[in-house]
Amino acid sequence: MTAPTAVLQLQDISRHRAGHPAVERLSLALESGQVLGLLGINGAGKSTTLSMIAGALNPDSGRITLNGEDFLERPGLARQVIGWLPERAPLWPELTVSEHLMAHGRLRGLASAALRQACDDTLERLDLTSLRRRLAGVLSQGQRQRLGLACALLHKPKLLVLDEPANALDPVQVSALRTLIREVADEGTAVILSTHLLAEVTAVCDRVAILHEGVLHYDAAIAGTDHQALERIFFDIALRGGAGTQAA
Amino acid sequence: MSIFAVTRLELRRLFVRPLAWVLAALTLAELAWRFVLLLGVFLANQVKLGATPSGPGYTDLVAVPMLSSLLTGGLIPFGLLEMALVIVPLLTMASIAGERTQGTMPLLLGTGLSATQIVLGKYLALLLWLLAWLVLAIAMPLSLAHGIQLDAGKLAAAALGSLLALAALAAVGVACSAFASHPAIAAAASLMIGLALTCINSGAQMAGVNSGAINWLALGTHLETLLRGLVYTGDLLWFVLVVIFALALAARRLAADKERG
Repeated sequence: MTAPTAVLQLQDISRHRAGHPAVERLSLALESGQVLGLLGINGAGKSTTLSMIAGALNPDSGRITLNGEDFLERPGLARQVIGWLPERAPLWPELTVSEHLMAHGRLRGLASAALRQACDDTLERLDLTSLRRRLAGVLSQGQRQRLGLACALLHKPKLLVLDEPANALDPVQVSALRTLIREVADEGTAVILSTHLLAEVTAVCDRVAILHEGVLHYDAAIAGTDHQALERIFFDIALRGGAGTQAA
Repeated sequence: MSIFAVTRLELRRLFVRPLAWVLAALTLAELAWRFVLLLGVFLANQVKLGATPSGPGYTDLVAVPMLSSLLTGGLIPFGLLEMALVIVPLLTMASIAGERTQGTMPLLLGTGLSATQIVLGKYLALLLWLLAWLVLAIAMPLSLAHGIQLDAGKLAAAALGSLLALAALAAVGVACSAFASHPAIAAAASLMIGLALTCINSGAQMAGVNSGAINWLALGTHLETLLRGLVYTGDLLWFVLVVIFALALAARRLAADKERG
């Protein structure tokens, strides 16, 4: 039996903003097919962590390993390995839905025939086929979020990084998103998603990591932990800074 | 390949935004009017010019002045290059600053592309637009080439000079866009630097100084020789240095975004 591969490994990464620590000595590992929920209140350092994982921000110190390779030395790894949906799904408003996907595919190095096929498949998977000719600037927030997710999934990444993916989605879309995340994970993609909603984590994640003021206070599997216990831990960390709670 | 993916994306965005089309339409209309005026002046003086065997011809009086009024002493001002001082900043202002204000820069940085690749990709797209603009402007005097004696070598040198000047202004524009927080600030800074590069030696020239570092720094010094049909390696080098320096600054600033957040 082979040991599961760590797709992502963070070793003591730190990042400061305006002299204050946004993320402090964070260490995590994520295996293929695993869904990790990064939980924390606003300003906990979730988006900064995800930006560093996605390669849009460099850590001040520490090491990020992707598929066993040093990501900081080889930032080009992000092209094939990572799919990223940043917070609020930034898009180019003058481009259509399908132009977005084509542009993302080319930026990720997909060849034209494969790219067209991948675009069609992704549009269908995200229920965006009917919107393919619509300008991104006129999409609703939920549609924007789905397009952002489509761009992140287009090249079948090994690691999917989702920053508040359920933002602005209605309950039906949230349910579809959860199903999609589970499907992607079942295909072997490691998923890390940030949220400040505990229900989001318990519904879709295998593991939860709780961040507060940039410090990892709790990291454990969801299975076997009941929702109320987890809620108590979360509130304890958020309100009292997690005194007495440790990363598992 | 990644550079071309950025170029393709940037070109697509340029072509679907009205700004590039409006600028192209308005400036080409002005250049067409300029062409008619220059041609009128040339035709009015044709008999007088014909009496001077080594006098200026169609290339000196119509084709090259279409590109710049530098050699005609301001007679019918605002050739393509004078307009470029305003047009290029408007085109380049959003190239990087626009991504920042729209929040889309992380999308590019998150694709694993280096800052240099992003800057070069965007710069190439702008350069292609400017090249098309230049070709359309030159097509006007060339349209009469079959019935008129055209100095092809002189026009080619002038076209090369114009392309290099556009390339230098575009690189300055991209650099300003990389440093500015807002596209309008980038446009203003790029316009000021373009004007400074053009007029930096005006005082020295008024004082009768035609050599020295101040003249070497000026864009006009190097452009003028090319517009006269003379191609010197030193002049080409000046444009190449400006482009490399400006793009290196832009890439450095963009890379710092990843560090500074």
